[in-house]
Amino acid sequence: MMQYLVILLDDTSVSYCHADNPYSVRRLIGLNDLRAGILFAMKQNLMIQFVYPDYELPQEYLDLIDTIDHHDIKPWYAGASPADVTVFDKSVLAGVSPVNQGVAVLRLTKAELFENVEAIGKILLKMQRLNIVVTDIETITDEELKSYAAVLEGLASVLKDEYLAGRMPQLNLLTDRMMLDRPNHCNAGVENITLAPNGRYYLCPAFYYSNPDDSIDPQDIRNQQLLRLDHAPLCRHCDAYQCRRCIWLNRKTTLEVNTPSREQCIVAHTEREASRQLMAAIREQAVFMPEVEIKELNYNDPFEVRKEW
Amino acid sequence: MKEKVGQVTPEERNEIQQLFERRNGLNELAKILTPDNDALYQKLVKDLGETGTKFQNWWDRMSQQYNWKSTPNGHWEINFDSCEIFLSEE
Amino acid sequence: MSIVRETDTGWQSGMAKSITFIVTKDCQLACKYCYLVGKNVKERMSWETAKAFIDYVLSREDEFREESVVWDFIGGEPFLEIELIDKICDYLKLRMFELNHHWFNSYRFSFSTNGINYHTPDVQAFIKKNREHLSIGITIDGTEKKHDLNRVWKQAKADENGIIHPSERGSYKDVVRNIPLWLEQFPNAGTKVTISSADIPYITESVLHLYSLGIHQVNINVVFEDVWQEGDDLRFEEQLMTLADEIIEHGYYRDYACSFFSEHIGKPMDPERDNQNWCGAGKMLAVDAAGNLYPCTRFAQYSLRSKKALIIGNIRDGINYNLLRPFLTLDRTTQSPQKCLDCEVASGCAWCQGENYDAAQTSTIYERSTAICLMHKARVRANNYYWNKLFRKLELEGRREEYENNKRDVKPEIC
Repeated sequence: MMQYLVILLDDTSVSYCHADNPYSVRRLIGLNDLRAGILFAMKQNLMIQFVYPDYELPQEYLDLIDTIDHHDIKPWYAGASPADVTVFDKSVLAGVSPVNQGVAVLRLTKAELFENVEAIGKILLKMQRLNIVVTDIETITDEELKSYAAVLEGLASVLKDEYLAGRMPQLNLLTDRMMLDRPNHCNAGVENITLAPNGRYYLCPAFYYSNPDDSIDPQDIRNQQLLRLDHAPLCRHCDAYQCRRCIWLNRKTTLEVNTPSREQCIVAHTEREASRQLMAAIREQAVFMPEVEIKELNYNDPFEVRKEW
Repeated sequence: MKEKVGQVTPEERNEIQQLFERRNGLNELAKILTPDNDALYQKLVKDLGETGTKFQNWWDRMSQQYNWKSTPNGHWEINFDSCEIFLSEE
Repeated sequence: MSIVRETDTGWQSGMAKSITFIVTKDCQLACKYCYLVGKNVKERMSWETAKAFIDYVLSREDEFREESVVWDFIGGEPFLEIELIDKICDYLKLRMFELNHHWFNSYRFSFSTNGINYHTPDVQAFIKKNREHLSIGITIDGTEKKHDLNRVWKQAKADENGIIHPSERGSYKDVVRNIPLWLEQFPNAGTKVTISSADIPYITESVLHLYSLGIHQVNINVVFEDVWQEGDDLRFEEQLMTLADEIIEHGYYRDYACSFFSEHIGKPMDPERDNQNWCGAGKMLAVDAAGNLYPCTRFAQYSLRSKKALIIGNIRDGINYNLLRPFLTLDRTTQSPQKCLDCEVASGCAWCQGENYDAAQTSTIYERSTAICLMHKARVRANNYYWNKLFRKLELEGRREEYENNKRDVKPEIC
């Protein structure tokens, strides 16, 4: 069921997910389009998530935004006001002190992630929740996967100490799988859609970024069933619950929204395994979530065992 | 005239089918391979001999094992689909 | 005292990798129902491309593990490129042997031809040379009237883009003269008949005509494209019932087969047990003149009306296996609409992944086209009539058991 409407307020609104925003020239959404989007959300009973650029919006926009209950997704920059979700880039690794509230999203490349484990571990201690988004994960090699596993091991060590000390910071890559008893997919096109600054609707911001002609009719999404989990032959059997099952990456890498690439699967399973090991390490010293069991698997890519289903 | 005289297992069928296929492949390769390609030509000649021997050995072994009926003017045939052995007389 | 007779029914079916060379996109004919909408005189495969492709495939034995291989040649009309094909096959035989490749023990060369060049010295020499490894199907559509309705010669000149167009001249006479030679060389060969809307009135006479030519196996299917007119299903059912009467009355069921009639079709299907895909796209591999690789020839641009070619790699960079994942995880229920899942007569209802892709609302192979729905249901009704009538006749004659023991096994045609 559709629950959220994401509204990109400007072409330079911050990207909070895998796809980079290719736009560098400011273009605010038209006031009439914004008004229509808000009205649509009200009629469809959708919670709006406004996505902001890195500059202060004109007052008439702020007034209009204020007419409806909503969440704010904002980029971090000096002087930025607090938000429900704050998006950081690698500059935060250079000692910028992040705001300790809400959810923080940290967008990094693989290389930036591999080189900054220690710094990320320190940031993690200041956060209630940190979502790390690796922006070029779809090109990960088997060699890089080992580095990724090592990064997760390093961060797991930080988290273990925190948990044993009674604090519970969340890191999407490691703690989500422990907490979840069902998939936590992005569900773009099923639970949320996006209104872009050009006044058109998209499955998610990434579809707008990669091809503005790839818009949808929000009242009649074609082949919408293929966006649902029950129409994803690999994913519907999978219990790497922390995986976002990014349909944009799916389409980019396999040409089908319902089929993940090998890279997406092996990364998700590496995270799942790291979560399992983190949980086991905590349990060696304390009673911890006894009702949760993460089974050990003998594969990293569900595609390899598809015939067993 | 054709009479069913026996049956082999699928594994036994696979063995003779593979030899049959290989022999056919070698025979057709022989049509295009000339002695000036010396190494490959020698390999082919050797293989033809070995495959022919294995082929005949299979029939000898199986006919002994299953004790198939035979006649002076007859020959055995195998149906690869059903694994059945037939005695066929001209 | 031993010879081996190989029966040629469904050679290694299911275990063989099908690898297709699209050697040319040209053809002498421009059949009106042909799904190859972009046939042209320009795209002919070079020897260098063919060789590079062969080297790519044979050097990756660990990636291509199927027990057997069918080296398939299509066009356009493949025999227009007999010289290239001959060179390809010789090279394949040499290299498979030289590399000790496991496929040397289990391969076929397969051709679907319009039959026009079948008698020519080059084609005949090729057949003689490769006789034990050949599977050749000549397409003849039935009576002269039915055949010439669709299977016409192309116009003498292609258009400015090299695309060929149909003329008014039928090709029946040019094909039928080669049927005796073909059947002499391949007595068990079958022909493939395609039915579109305009062909329906000629089905019965065409199948009987093909039997009279000595063709014992007639594989026949309706086109998957959305070409059907109102009432076609009822006309189709009527034709099949007439055909059923003829086959039963004249006893053709003993020695001849027509794939329209099968005991296995027209039953409900279990969503879990019967969930496999119909089509083999993705398990096959095709290469064209440009060296591009496809999951099946139907995904090459010349086969597609409205979608972009779905290229899964090329002979230089190899296969992008991520692009094969959707094909290899495709199942029946995920791609079918609810009406197909609920269908009481679902079994035997076929689909073509390429046509599904071409006809889909979005760029996906996961949307099953149901253009043949009414035609399948009509087929099932006539099929039920056929088996009920035949079995009753056999029961009354006390020959049911004899029939069961000797019947030809008609397997569903899977492309």
